[in-house]
Parts: sequence; structure tokens; C-alpha cells
Amino acid sequence: MIENSAQPEAYDKIALELRRGVLILAALSQLKENKYGYALISQLAENGLDIDQGTLYPLLRRLESQGLLDSNWIVEDSRPRRYYVLNATGKQVLDALVQEWRTLTNVMETLLKETEQPR
Amino acid sequence: MNHLIERYLQAISRELPANQQEDILKELRSSLYDTLEGEGDGEPTEERVVALIKEMGSPRQVAAAYYPAGQYVIGPALYPMFITVLKIVLVTILSVQALLVGLSFGVAVTTRSLIQELFGLLGALPAAAGWVVLIFWAIQRFEPKAIPEEEIFDPRKLPALESYNEPVSRFEQIFSIVVNVIALAFLWNFAQSGVLTGIEGLAFFQNPVIVQFFPWLFASSVLDIVIDIVLLWRGRWETRTRVAGILFNLFSLVVLFVMFEGHSAWLRAEGISESLVIWTQDPEFFFTNAQATGMILFRMGFAIAILIIGVETAVYTYKLIRRRMNAPISPVTGLVSAHR
Repeated sequence: MIENSAQPEAYDKIALELRRGVLILAALSQLKENKYGYALISQLAENGLDIDQGTLYPLLRRLESQGLLDSNWIVEDSRPRRYYVLNATGKQVLDALVQEWRTLTNVMETLLKETEQPR
Repeated sequence: MNHLIERYLQAISRELPANQQEDILKELRSSLYDTLEGEGDGEPTEERVVALIKEMGSPRQVAAAYYPAGQYVIGPALYPMFITVLKIVLVTILSVQALLVGLSFGVAVTTRSLIQELFGLLGALPAAAGWVVLIFWAIQRFEPKAIPEEEIFDPRKLPALESYNEPVSRFEQIFSIVVNVIALAFLWNFAQSGVLTGIEGLAFFQNPVIVQFFPWLFASSVLDIVIDIVLLWRGRWETRTRVAGILFNLFSLVVLFVMFEGHSAWLRAEGISESLVIWTQDPEFFFTNAQATGMILFRMGFAIAILIIGVETAVYTYKLIRRRMNAPISPVTGLVSAHR
């Protein structure tokens, strides 16, 4: 599939960018309920989407500073955990993003079908 | 050595923005311990902790992700303006300093002072560049609103088409400025004393022709420096700079020709041969008649300059005509007809 040595590197970069674009939507989709970082990572991993801590935590803070998430500290089992949840704006943005995602996936399906045609 | 997680967090904390440091560390700490706990009961092995930390990335890498605007001195939004300002500042300083050095060289001639001045000139450039960086860093850091937003874009206001304009050779222009500054220094020296002085200010020989036409030579050098600076600034030859270059060269040719003729007339009046053949006939001539030797050499120098500027003028003219004769261009799109 990937033949010469330049291609795997290019593939890795493109695949990373592709995944990075999806991560925000994935995280927002799981924050309708109060959740702390590690729980969110575990949940995403269970559904087949791996995200490392070094990526998720800064992302959550960015979404909070953009006004999409609210957060609060809760101490459980003597360990403080920062819980995040979608606020009203976050919910609206998520709905719009889901719409956008569905349109995109439809378009992509159509486009990719063409590549599957036997030549 | 152990305490790996706490040492890791400590290393991250040094790279974090101070106002969020505590909060971020608290969250990372709880997440790291949650991860270890989630993997099994009991004390985690050192290998496991090392693997977890490696997976998360180096402290610098982790901290960098918390700077949303990125970690740079001058960001992409300000960078084009930064480069423009830097160019203006450096060219201005270089020109002004070169002029000052030239003038001081003309007034007090010692080799040491010239070298010192040249070093001073070079030293001023990094300092100026440093100030520009500092100012732009401050704008980015404290005045984010000053960063130009996407301007209202009007295609009609795009700069004129320059694909047919030849780029200016920076080396040539800077070399020309340096040569002109040195010429100005010598001329200034002449104007002050009426005598060509060598190093250490010793009188070498008198040149009445240069003294007579001093303002014209001075004007010619200053004009050339002005044209060189404009060209450096514009970066590309345009019709108007080509025309200005040709007109200036014609002016220079007239001045140089007058100088050449002036020297010839002086030599004829003195009854001295105009060529250096005189040296082969009389090797002592140089020592016995330094002024005549100087006049012969200057006359030769002007002849060479006439030749060089003559060729340059011919090249400018050819390039201007060639540009005019380019295939017609569509007025709306700018596409060359032949390629349509």
C-alpha cells in the first residue's frame, strides 16, 4: 500500500491532522454530563478513539476559555478532580458541529465511493 | 532515584504560564495517578511509570500545548510587517552611517579611525535589529489588538504586476553605495583642502580639475546613492527606475566626460604626454612629477568609468526596450496573449 520511504511519514502527518480535527467534536459529544479528564479519556478509548492526556487537557482548557465548557473542582477519594460539562453555548455549538459533521461525512462518502470503482 | 511523577510535574511547572501553573499541575497530577490506578492495584512499577510519562511527552512538549497563541517572539500575523520594518530600519541606518563614515573619513583621515568607524557601522545593525524585535514582541505581548485583522480586501488595490520586472541585485546596489561613499569621502577631502591626501593626511598631489568641478561630482555620487537606496527599497526594476537610471547615467557620463577632458587639457597645457608610456621612457617621472602622474592616472580612471557607465546605460536601455516589446497583456487578467 505504502511503498516508498517518504510516504509513511506523509501518511502519519495527514492521519494525525485528520484525527486532530475530529477530537474536538468527540470530546464535546461526551461532555453533556459532568466528566473529569481521565474518565473522558477512558470513555473515548472504550469507543475506539485514543487521545493522550497531553492533548486532551489543553484542549479542554481551550474549549472552556472559548466559552463552550464550564468546569469545577470536586474532591473524591481525597483526590481533587476537575469536572467539565457543556454549557448552553457549548450545546448549541455541538448541535451545529454535528450537523456539519453529518453533511461532511455524506459528501465524503460520495467522493470516496468514486475511488472504490474498479478501473 | 525515584519520585518520577513529582519530578516530571516539577519539570513541567517550570515551563507553564505562571497564572495557570498551580491549576494545571493539580489536574495533571490527579490524571496521572488516576491512570496508574486504573491499570491495577498496588504500587506501580518504575517501568510502568516511565512508560506513562514517555507516552505523555517531554515536559516542554506538554507545557507548550497550554500556550494557545503558540510560543514565538513574533507570530505569523505580525511577521510580514516585522520584516518590512526591519528592512527599512536596517537600510536607513546603513545609509546614514555609511554617509557619516564617509564624511568623517574625508575630514580626519587615518586608517585606524576608518576601521573603527566601519566596525561601529556593523555593530549598529544587530543593535537596531534587536530593538525592532523587542518592539514587535511588546506589541504582540501587550497589544494583541494591534495585530492586523483580515483587512477588507479589494482586488483593485493589489500591487502592480511585477512578473516582468527584473529583481534588483542587492549585492550590486550595496557595492555601488559603498563605492560612492568612498568617492564622496575623497571628494569631501578635496573640497576641504584642494589637495589629494594619502593616509596620515600627507599632501599627495593637487588636482585643480576636481576642485573646479567638485559640486558636479558630488551631486553625481549623492544621486547615485539615492537611486541605489530606492532600488534596494523597491526590490525590482520598474519602468520609472529604469528611466531614472538611464537619465542619471547620462548625467554621469557628461560629468565624467567633462572631467576626462579637463584632465586632458591640463596635461596638454603642461606639455605632458597623456599616456603612461612616459613611465617606460622615464622611470623617475613618478618621483619627480607626482602631480602629473596623478593627473594621468585620474584621466585613465575617468576613461574606465565612462566605459563602465556607458555599457551599463546600454544594458538599461536594452532591458527597458525589451520590456516595452513584451507580448501584449490582457488589461483585465494580466495574462500574456501568447499564453492564452
